Amino acid sequence: MTVDPLTAEVLRNALVVAAEEASIVVVRSAYSTFIVEGSDASAAVLDAGGRLVAQSMATTLMNSMALRTALPELLKDFPPETMRPGEVYALNDAYRGGVHTNDLLVYRPVFVAGTPAYFTATMIHVSDLGGLSAGGMAPLATDIFLEGLRLPPVRLATRDGLEPAVAAILRANSRTPDKVMGDVRALVAGTAVAAARIESLLSRYGEHGLAQGVADYLDHTEARTRAALAELPAGRYEAAYPIDDDGVDPDREHWVRVAVTLGGEAAALDFAGTDPQVPAAINASASQSLAAAVFAIRCFLDPAIPMNDGCLRAIDVRLPEGSLLDARSPHPCGGRYVPIYAAMEAVFQAMSDAVPERAIAASGILQPFSIAAVGAPYWIHLSYDFGGVGARRGLDGPDATGVHFGIGRNSVPQVEPVESRCPLIVESIETIPDSGGPGRHRGGLGSRTVYRFLADCHVTTRGDRLRLAPPGREGGLPGRLGGFYRRRLDGTVERLASKVNNVRFAAGEAFIVETTGGSGLGPPSERAREAVLADLDAGRVSPRGAAEDYGVSPADA
Amino acid sequence: MGYTIGVDVGGTFTDVVLRGTSGTIAVAKCPSTHDDPIAGMLTGVTRVLAGRDPSRVTRVVHATTLATNAVLERTGARVAFVTTRGFRAAVPLGRYARVEEDRYDLRFTPPPPPVAPGDCFEVTERVSARGDVLVPLDEESARRAAREIAARGIESAAVCLLHAYANPAHERRVAEILRESVPAVVTSSETWPEIREYERATTTIISAYVGPLMASYLSRLRARLAELGIRAPVHVMESGGGVISAELAARRAVATIESGPAAGVLAAAGAGFADAISFDMGGTTAKACVVRGGRPEVTHEFHVGGKGSFGGRRAGTGVPIKTPAIDLAEVGAGGGSVAWQDPAGALRVGPRSAGSFPGPACYGLGGSEPTVTDANLVLGYLSPALSAGSVPLSPALADKALDRLAGPLGVSRARAAYAVHEIVSASMASAVHVVTVQRGIDPRGFALVAFGGAGPMHAARVAERFGIATVVVPAHCGVASAAGLLAGELSTDRVLTRLDEPDPEAVFAALAGEAAGDLGVRLAAPGVRVLRSVDVRFRGQSHDLTVPWSAERAALERAFFRRYAEVYGIAQRGEVELVSYRVRLTAPLPRPSGPSPQAGPPGPAGSPAPAGSRDAPDSPGSPSPAGSHGRAGAPVPGARPAYFPELGGYAEVPVHTRDTLPATAPGPVIVEDAEATIVVPPGWTVTRAAGGAVHLVRTAASTGSTGSTDSDASTGSAV
Repeated sequence: MTVDPLTAEVLRNALVVAAEEASIVVVRSAYSTFIVEGSDASAAVLDAGGRLVAQSMATTLMNSMALRTALPELLKDFPPETMRPGEVYALNDAYRGGVHTNDLLVYRPVFVAGTPAYFTATMIHVSDLGGLSAGGMAPLATDIFLEGLRLPPVRLATRDGLEPAVAAILRANSRTPDKVMGDVRALVAGTAVAAARIESLLSRYGEHGLAQGVADYLDHTEARTRAALAELPAGRYEAAYPIDDDGVDPDREHWVRVAVTLGGEAAALDFAGTDPQVPAAINASASQSLAAAVFAIRCFLDPAIPMNDGCLRAIDVRLPEGSLLDARSPHPCGGRYVPIYAAMEAVFQAMSDAVPERAIAASGILQPFSIAAVGAPYWIHLSYDFGGVGARRGLDGPDATGVHFGIGRNSVPQVEPVESRCPLIVESIETIPDSGGPGRHRGGLGSRTVYRFLADCHVTTRGDRLRLAPPGREGGLPGRLGGFYRRRLDGTVERLASKVNNVRFAAGEAFIVETTGGSGLGPPSERAREAVLADLDAGRVSPRGAAEDYGVSPADA
Repeated sequence: MGYTIGVDVGGTFTDVVLRGTSGTIAVAKCPSTHDDPIAGMLTGVTRVLAGRDPSRVTRVVHATTLATNAVLERTGARVAFVTTRGFRAAVPLGRYARVEEDRYDLRFTPPPPPVAPGDCFEVTERVSARGDVLVPLDEESARRAAREIAARGIESAAVCLLHAYANPAHERRVAEILRESVPAVVTSSETWPEIREYERATTTIISAYVGPLMASYLSRLRARLAELGIRAPVHVMESGGGVISAELAARRAVATIESGPAAGVLAAAGAGFADAISFDMGGTTAKACVVRGGRPEVTHEFHVGGKGSFGGRRAGTGVPIKTPAIDLAEVGAGGGSVAWQDPAGALRVGPRSAGSFPGPACYGLGGSEPTVTDANLVLGYLSPALSAGSVPLSPALADKALDRLAGPLGVSRARAAYAVHEIVSASMASAVHVVTVQRGIDPRGFALVAFGGAGPMHAARVAERFGIATVVVPAHCGVASAAGLLAGELSTDRVLTRLDEPDPEAVFAALAGEAAGDLGVRLAAPGVRVLRSVDVRFRGQSHDLTVPWSAERAALERAFFRRYAEVYGIAQRGEVELVSYRVRLTAPLPRPSGPSPQAGPPGPAGSPAPAGSRDAPDSPGSPSPAGSHGRAGAPVPGARPAYFPELGGYAEVPVHTRDTLPATAPGPVIVEDAEATIVVPPGWTVTRAAGGAVHLVRTAASTGSTGSTDSDASTGSAV
């Protein structure tokens, strides 16, 4: 049975559902603290040509671009004709499509007539695979060897189960061997669920029917992408965005630069001029930079366009080799979110110039941190808080949430489960009044979370936009800067650097995470009075902020 | 001899079913009256009573969308939220997900929180995860909050303090203080004391939000029933399929959010198959739920107002509610769903619906867009003699609407119509997929119980996608929910999270005692049953699975491992921990003896023909027959051309009513009655079953089937 073009949508949904089911299994059966209390797992379906066919709905582009970029690398080491049914493969090598040590990519071939025709793939940030700090962050790494176990493509399992040697290597390199193996089993099970779905699609549509259906799906997506690109104003739009520092030299900023060229039914994003890679953890692997570029441009297209290789065909991304956005061995890649968030912001600003009615001012970003036992047995709390989103034309920025990669607040852990698992007390989770950049439309607020420790522990942070505030647009003002702090036993507060590794906190001390507010758009003097008064009622601005930033006195209400 | 009355108030219609000891039944379908839902109910109740003595009504069971609508339309009470110092921003910040198109939307604005940030207040206190008091309650801080709440003119408050499940003392004291100046106060520890503060808070807030509305509504309802002479107790169906008193429903209004859909599933559970999938398709949505061993599957978290994705309501896209609810999947696909072409030319159906106005093009009310109902008319599945209100459906308008699709697609009108029919069947299948395959359940061997106005028209095609061989269309399938209400027992649930609990027996005993108090029954009374279960997880994981309680630890672990393998396909072993304890208490009702509605013969006098009792344009899902096919007693079998791809296109197909249907007949056949149209495709055989039900049985081998929807979910090949 071939695919009736009239009902192709049925097959397309089935492909997405296959990935979706894999991710449900992974997220619910994983052990990694990063996954279990929040973040969704990623899952994708690819074909043997390395094309991304479908991804689960919660999969960020960071992960699906890694899965897509790494598959051809896997096939270089393990040619398809050598693969056998029941086998599962894994890797994490950043220079071969991976992200960083803790993000494990797992693939299962789906066979047609004895040859792999499709791959189902899953990935999560696993519990721990070594490196400078428990849980996977190594913000002060100066080469990739400090970031943990580097895994080239390996056969992870056969139809008889996990490969004992690989399992032994993973266990031996993890601070939490049982949990990491639980994560691996979850990843493998997820690929099996999706593979069963693909096999049933093969039996329904036949080999050629499914192949044709996939090809049509990608063509359909390409057509929609090109149609949306054609509506954008042709031209060349440039922008640049800075990174605070590399963690090693706290005073030196680094720049990501982009030129977006629109015209016809295509877009080219050229990052030429971006600063070179550094021996510090603020470089990205190519797959991650590709994800940032594609995500950012897609934010200016019809949001309902599916995400697969068809979309990528219309978007040409050029990354300078050996730059912050395409690092080469042995430059660390673990801090990839720092340069790629700068890349996204640069594209947002360039596109805001191109399409001013959909402009967005710069945002605060997520600020990852880990809290862990100082020694075995390890407990780990790996998390992040979100900064405020920049104001949009006609709209205030949302408070403390993810605009980059579209990550929602449901990925921030809740207090009760964390306190039931780790020796700490969360004293407060608040929004910070006046932290949203003033403007005709106000930036979203940053947040403040206070952790008080009941045992000695190590704190590791990976912050950015904590020194160089997100600038406002069109007369709007920057968001208020956040930071990481230690509150000592005597109550005094000390500011930490934005990127610190295993800072020891004593029981009774508190770790404070303040995130940066989004910036404003338009002059604050043009903000509607009612909007300021509503902000006062909600506590988003203080009486003093209303007076100083907007010239509105609460008594006027 | 007494009567019981079931009343289901839906979006379009209010359905009323009267059951008596002699097994007679009367049904009425009246337009819902949105400004005053009680008016529509009373019309229906008067109609089914038809002169019978109202004082002999022993019980009225009610399914209501009041709570749901209050949340969706944001018409509940203004609520003040009171929490632990340091956390007043937690609920306004929210825990929404950004899925699908939201992900790439730079102009995404988070859904508005269930309470305004300015209406959130803090009290100074702190309890640990094990229930230890870290900071004693500062009562002055509670009084200060009470004063501010009163000053803001807010009359309903929700109190949710951190770890109140582990130690409710502070919450209780805060509530006492608030009650001195705030009329309605609910606490999280009485509403749903389960770990995870956000969901516990939203559950409590929604209870405070809809509680005052529900209380006044139910007291008005009782007063107006009394005016009719009905002084019987009023019971309300709760989301989990149990029935609770009106008093408890007012106190725990949040438990009634899924009241209406739950009733429909109970009707499916009563269709005579232990393993069944209920399939309810109306004008705008289709819903599916699994019944195993005669019991509907229940979920412990759902999202009101959530966004659907392939049939599931995604976590993080609505307001989470933790009270138990029947595990429904819902897709935005019904008779009124509009078919359209996306910018790249692909044919899509829904989620936009033409609603009941203008409705499908064939209604002739000004709609011109092609809908599923228009496609079904073009295909000959629906009879042109059917009426929408008083006006017959217009095949010409349906043709014209479908041509708007067929032209640009470059196919015939019939092919375009069949593509619409097929896409919508697949979309409905995805709802079935969510509650079966995604939950690790193989749907083959289940019976698909179809109801709702449009369900029986698509049921066989949905069943084919799963290799399901039996489709059941119950009698009175158009008022199934109201009938299902009378099948529910008195029942309610309780939960408590206790980490490292040394004495589970004591926890269960306390929960059972509280549940008995809720229902006003004695635990020791005959027939009272307590079902115990516990949420178990591997230590270090966050997600748990609910398994039946066993005091023997090894047996409990075995049950958990088995369930884990069933759901995830992973043969995992390891240290487990118990998180939350649950009881479901069920008490028998004094029931009128005699056969169930399905088993009884159609009522003689006083049983109004539902088709005749309609006064308004019908829902797009279920145009009602008019003329010769309309009423029992005037059966005229006939034939008309209908489109089946197996037959190469249109073919003359026999058309029956349930009464003219032979004992058994091979498809293709169309069976029309007052409530719905049943399409029996080629490869299926239709038989008359007891009590007016109709069964469809698959006779041809499956044609390869199932696409998105095949069998075994959890695919063992794990590790």
